[in-house]
Amino acid sequence: MRVLKLLPFALAFGILQVVLRLPNDGDLIRRLKAREPKAMAELYDRYGRIAYSVVLRVVHNPSVAEDLVQETFIRVWNRMESFDAERGALGPWVLTVARNRAIDYLRSVDGRMQAGAVELEKLERPGFFADMGAQALSMDRVRRVKSAFEKLNPNQKTVIEMAYYEGMSQTEVAEKLKQPLGTVKTWTRAALKILRDELGEAAIA
Amino acid sequence: MTEERLTCQQLEEVYELYALGSLEAAERDEIEAHLTHGCTHCKQGVADAMALNAMVLSFVPEVVPPRELKHRVLAAIGYERPGWFWAGALAASLMLIVALWLGIQEREHYSELADARRDVINITADRDRLNQALLFLSDPETTPVSFGRGQQAPPRGYVFLHPQLGVMLIASNLPPAGEGKAYEMWVIPKGGAPRPAGLFQSDGTRALHVLGGPVDVATLGVVAVTLEPAAGSAAPTTTPIIAAQVARS
Repeated sequence: MRVLKLLPFALAFGILQVVLRLPNDGDLIRRLKAREPKAMAELYDRYGRIAYSVVLRVVHNPSVAEDLVQETFIRVWNRMESFDAERGALGPWVLTVARNRAIDYLRSVDGRMQAGAVELEKLERPGFFADMGAQALSMDRVRRVKSAFEKLNPNQKTVIEMAYYEGMSQTEVAEKLKQPLGTVKTWTRAALKILRDELGEAAIA
Repeated sequence: MTEERLTCQQLEEVYELYALGSLEAAERDEIEAHLTHGCTHCKQGVADAMALNAMVLSFVPEVVPPRELKHRVLAAIGYERPGWFWAGALAASLMLIVALWLGIQEREHYSELADARRDVINITADRDRLNQALLFLSDPETTPVSFGRGQQAPPRGYVFLHPQLGVMLIASNLPPAGEGKAYEMWVIPKGGAPRPAGLFQSDGTRALHVLGGPVDVATLGVVAVTLEPAAGSAAPTTTPIIAAQVARS
């Protein structure tokens, strides 16, 4: 019943399917590993919209966003072999690949961090997404983190968005905002601590 | 390998930045040294950071993608639901033909009639190409070969080889060839010279071109595309925009 009470909230933010490890994700992963094309259609139905939303938020160009979402799903399809069907969190993985493809594109257009592509690829390894489990992605945690995110002060929100949606390093953020590096680090780490603590609180509660 | 100079506790506050690929090199190397040495604290910390990052990303306002994006994704893996997409495409083409035909009845001006007929021809040609593509995709003897994967600036897509049907190219992100130009496909046997395989245009998002007829798949090395004058060339005159390695090892 608790889940039902949280359902309207989840739908309002469109996050239900993304951050939760759905009970039937394991079955979908197994079918994807078996190269069932229909499973790919199901994967797209599940995560296509949120992946497109994230990519568009990064690149601000619908045509480019479509290409990158296509690339995202092909990459997931091709790397599914090493994904853990029992413990893997499919939604966060797809979302991370989508975000990283978009950031790679942004960095290549801006000529920033030439080695960035390799670095981001390393961070998409399926192994990173095998230890989250359903508990780490519970609705209660999502609700708390969302609430905490909305309460960040404007400076904290700005630096977080530049890291998440522009893929900037702390030095790049400092240069863009014309702020001392130390100040930017303080804002960023304070913001992340607030979000992380909320995640931890939810785990204890 | 980087020495571990920072403790797990010192690194905890930057796990999320590491997971985003936004961490400066020095701290990034520190975390990687911990991970390489099997540090379970950092491994779990980074996994938690991945989860937190996914949550934050999911807070983005949702935007509905174009419906055709799903078709593109499925076509890119060599699959499309024949039950409705191709049938839908054919039905749409036929409906357009009927609509154009009815419109033609009411038109009195010969110029309008000529334009409409040209449209019908184009649509019929499109329908025929879709039928041809369906033949490739539905035959188990067809071998798909991708190209352009992982490139920052596509074109990318697939070449489909079939010993009887020929060679079909589907490319996305191919810009329009431009005034007086056309794309020319080449089939290049292993150790042989490029052979012209037909001219085609791109609408700026995707292009589909078929070289019909039997092809010796075993001896084929590369399928390439170059930009040529609209009348075509006997041999490539520009650097290939697409070069799909189709040789079987």
